[in-house]
Amino acid sequence: MNRLTQSLVLVLLGGAVLRITTVSDEYLNYVKPGFRYLLIAAAATVLVVGAAGLFKKEDGHRGPWVAWLLTLPVFAIFLIAPPPLGSYAARSEEAPARPVGALTAYTPLTRPVNTMTIGEFLGRAWGDPARSLAGKQVKLTGFVVPSKKEGRWYVARMQIACCAADAVPLKVAVLGFPSPAENQWIEVTGTWVPPEADGPEPGTVAPEIDAVHVAEIPRPVEPYE
Amino acid sequence: MPPADAESKGRVSGSWVFVALLCLLLLGQFFYAPYLTSPALQTWATVFVAICVQALPFLVFGVVLSAAITTFVPASFWTRALPRRAALAVPVAGAAGAVLPGCECASVPVASGLISRGVTPAAALAFLLSSPAINPVVVVATVVAFPGQPMMAVARFTASLVVAVLVGWVWLRFGKGEWLRARRRHDHAGFAEAVRHDLLHAGGFLVVGGMAAATMNVVVPREWLNALAGNFWLSVLALALLAVVLSICSEADAFVAASLTAFSPTARLVFLVVGPMVDLKLIALQTGTFGRRFAVRFVPLTFSLAVLVGVGAGTVLL
Repeated sequence: MNRLTQSLVLVLLGGAVLRITTVSDEYLNYVKPGFRYLLIAAAATVLVVGAAGLFKKEDGHRGPWVAWLLTLPVFAIFLIAPPPLGSYAARSEEAPARPVGALTAYTPLTRPVNTMTIGEFLGRAWGDPARSLAGKQVKLTGFVVPSKKEGRWYVARMQIACCAADAVPLKVAVLGFPSPAENQWIEVTGTWVPPEADGPEPGTVAPEIDAVHVAEIPRPVEPYE
Repeated sequence: MPPADAESKGRVSGSWVFVALLCLLLLGQFFYAPYLTSPALQTWATVFVAICVQALPFLVFGVVLSAAITTFVPASFWTRALPRRAALAVPVAGAAGAVLPGCECASVPVASGLISRGVTPAAALAFLLSSPAINPVVVVATVVAFPGQPMMAVARFTASLVVAVLVGWVWLRFGKGEWLRARRRHDHAGFAEAVRHDLLHAGGFLVVGGMAAATMNVVVPREWLNALAGNFWLSVLALALLAVVLSICSEADAFVAASLTAFSPTARLVFLVVGPMVDLKLIALQTGTFGRRFAVRFVPLTFSLAVLVGVGAGTVLL
């Protein structure tokens, strides 16, 4: 790989990452919002290093062949435009993941409809000795994941700590409504169904919500919790 | 003159390949993009791009720091800063890893820069292993991910430092200089040229690791793991291998470990000790930076010591 091509590859890579962090919000499909300025700074550095190389004359210094691979993420970004992780990544039905950073103190729910993250819902359903969820109406936002069991479906959201490679699916089974299309983003309003006393251990199966309303919504800008 | 000829020919062909790629990219937006919609492919692409994007700031930081070390810090500084006896320099360098707040992508170019400035390879390798695991950001992330279990962060810090120092000492005693590919000196070329070369080189290998990790992430269902959770040694090995294939950034792996509730604390500790030291993207980066002869010895050594020390620390501290 000669000098000109090396420079062009760096310009392309820097430009692609700048594009998904400044022109659009696509970077939120891959990493936490806090990464934005780090990414802009890194992409600008790559772009400047590449652009500076364009103006130097060829010196016969051969770049490594492996640098061609740097065009692959650029191809993936522009051609596949990878969407946020959805129902395919959340399809596993065994041993639901426990949300991290769960509440340590469960404040009482006082509003008529309590909007909360699915992580908070799981935390309260599995870990709250005072059963603060019981009888309270809550609103959850997530996407539709079908179950292998007939007639059962989930509202789910992926939780990420850093990037989509560490995503864990958080799921709540929705009762009382037919399933919307797979991967459709929805808002579910309803009340928690406490598990039966002789049922499985808390945290081993997804909790259930008895829905009174299911509204289809566009995908939120920040797809992960 | 054949060399000049080959040179100009190479220039034309390389740039033409690039132009062809660019055309493919533009055309592809209209013609291919609608067909690239299989959920498995999209999930793979999301994870692949996520790993690359997430690693980019750390890689750039590491490459710039490495170039600064090789260009601006005189070699004599390191001989004064580190103890003269290599056996002592190893633990000092290992402990110094606590001050570089980055993940593993930053530590490889930095260690390579240190070696090219005359730092004993064993000491630089101890630094390479310890810095992604024991820096303050990672320690805080571990404390946050395991609320009410501060011993997890303590055990992780201790075990990681011990592994780094042990590997350094083993390398000092048995390692051979010729296993480590000599870094081409770019001293004459200056700061910008070093940044440019390392970025292209390490970046390319990072993409290799990202592809492998994304593939394993999509192909290996997590259910397989839970079947092994009951048996102590199998569960430890399963999580050690999971840490290798998932290649999660060391600043985020504690959150994944916390979500693996089916496993014992010791198995999860092993996951946290192995992850920042051995994973697919790191293996690709190390092979690219130090050569294959280095990687085939260094990776198994680090992996086995990390598993053993992790189990020991888990038994004593957790």
